[in-house]
Amino acid sequence: MNRYLAFFKKEIIEYIRTYKLLIMLIVFAIFGITNPLIAKLLPEIMKNLATDGFVITLPDPTAYDAWTQFFKNATQMGFIVTLILFSGVLSSEYSKGTLINLLTKGLSRTTVILTKYFSMVLVWTICIILCFILTYGYTVYLFPNDITYNLLFSVFCLWMFGLLLLAILMFSATLTKSSYGCLLITGIIVVFFMIIDIIPSIHKYNPISLVTDNMGLIMNSIKVSSLYLANLISVLLSIIFIILSIVVFRKKQL
Amino acid sequence: MNILEINQLYKRFGDHEVLKGLDMVVPEHSIFGFIGKNGAGKTTTIKIILGLLKADSGSITVCGEKVSYGETKTNRYIGFLPDIPDFYGYMNPLEYLNLCGEITGLSKDIIKAKSEELLELVGLKNDKKKKIRGFSRGMKQRLGIAQALLNEPKLLICDEPTSALDPIGRKEILDILLAAKGKTTIIFSTHILADVERICDYVGVLHDGKLALSGTLSEIRGIYRHDEYMLEFNNETDAAIFEMLEELKQPSIQIERRRNTVKVRLADPNLDGSFLLNILAQKHLVPLKFNVLEPSLESLFIEVVK
Repeated sequence: MNRYLAFFKKEIIEYIRTYKLLIMLIVFAIFGITNPLIAKLLPEIMKNLATDGFVITLPDPTAYDAWTQFFKNATQMGFIVTLILFSGVLSSEYSKGTLINLLTKGLSRTTVILTKYFSMVLVWTICIILCFILTYGYTVYLFPNDITYNLLFSVFCLWMFGLLLLAILMFSATLTKSSYGCLLITGIIVVFFMIIDIIPSIHKYNPISLVTDNMGLIMNSIKVSSLYLANLISVLLSIIFIILSIVVFRKKQL
Repeated sequence: MNILEINQLYKRFGDHEVLKGLDMVVPEHSIFGFIGKNGAGKTTTIKIILGLLKADSGSITVCGEKVSYGETKTNRYIGFLPDIPDFYGYMNPLEYLNLCGEITGLSKDIIKAKSEELLELVGLKNDKKKKIRGFSRGMKQRLGIAQALLNEPKLLICDEPTSALDPIGRKEILDILLAAKGKTTIIFSTHILADVERICDYVGVLHDGKLALSGTLSEIRGIYRHDEYMLEFNNETDAAIFEMLEELKQPSIQIERRRNTVKVRLADPNLDGSFLLNILAQKHLVPLKFNVLEPSLESLFIEVVK
């Protein structure tokens, strides 16, 4: 347990001193603040662009627009920034040989994988909570009368998909020695989820529905129970990917 | 007792067979010079000892315990200094040693006391609060020794610790290793023979996947000693007289003169230094110096590796 703690401390110090944590916090804070603002201001901006005889009519912005921005930003830019920042999770240690030193001191490879995964999960969780609180605050302030449904569950689904994505990233990192290879494999696996989503009967099992059905949940057009299976499968897949990472990493010649 | 025993170790990378049945024994409290050309397989051997690479076949024991690949328990006996050590640049030496200590499972007080002591030993006392990012190669090498000695290992493995350093840095590292000798056994891989001659008492030469030569330095020199002598005379006349002596005109004797020094090589096993001394006495020639020539490690190395 002490080794987990020691290595965990090292990971956190690394995130802080290499500014990874700061970058993540800033990116997600910017999203958090701008999501409702963009929703509110977009019609105004469009109105100013309109000239004589050319009328752009947009419906009045609502809280839904703010949350649309939230889920769009988090699932696109948010995930991309997260993956890029964490893509060096193992490759930076391989290339410099920093990990070998600790492994020869009796640090187990299982500890390395588990600690690195949970450190990433911690950062991801903090960032998504920060982003959510900021968006929530501004949305309530700008659109006080709008009602949203299943908001927490919808964000939970997004968070859950993040856990799966990080587990996939961890697994990819054990397969290759470079951070690009790691990103590539992660990308291929995610694209695979997107492609099989074409088959309608698979959708309710497919983890990708955790980041495509969020607005449906909020508008109450999709039932909460329809996403239980996808959540369960995400958890199982995350566990499988982490176990695979450990198996591969333990066999890896360094 | 032997700290390290390697039996019939084989390892190949693709078509390239690096180790072909390596046998090696390192006795306790020695400094073992592990010599070999670049690419001879020194680093591969070390990585297998540390459980970082998997051997194709063969066995290794450290302190009587078998080394297993992957999760390597025997590493608790070992301190390791990689050839180009690199540490987390965003930490300072104290923080890094603390991390190493916690991973090794030392208590807080011991880590603190040992860190201070080791940083003093390796001469990084004044840099202990500086970020490792700004360290020179020599400083990283010294921090490498400090972290390797932190858990008081029974076996310290240094992979070419001096290869990339300037002469002063090299001397410092060698001095630190000599100072550590009392507490631990050291395996020291290198291709710089002068370093080996300076600090090692056992030598093993890795060539063609096997230990081509091993033993104490003097044993090895004994095996490879040719009966070669160097005589230095007062002046060139004496030297010339000696060179022209009838007694030395034999096919088994090679003579070579350079001004007032004469080099004699005796290939006949019945002849030795006393034969030369007898002749000198008979002829009333008194040399300034009479030297038995020791083979240099370099000439041995070249002979073995040829």
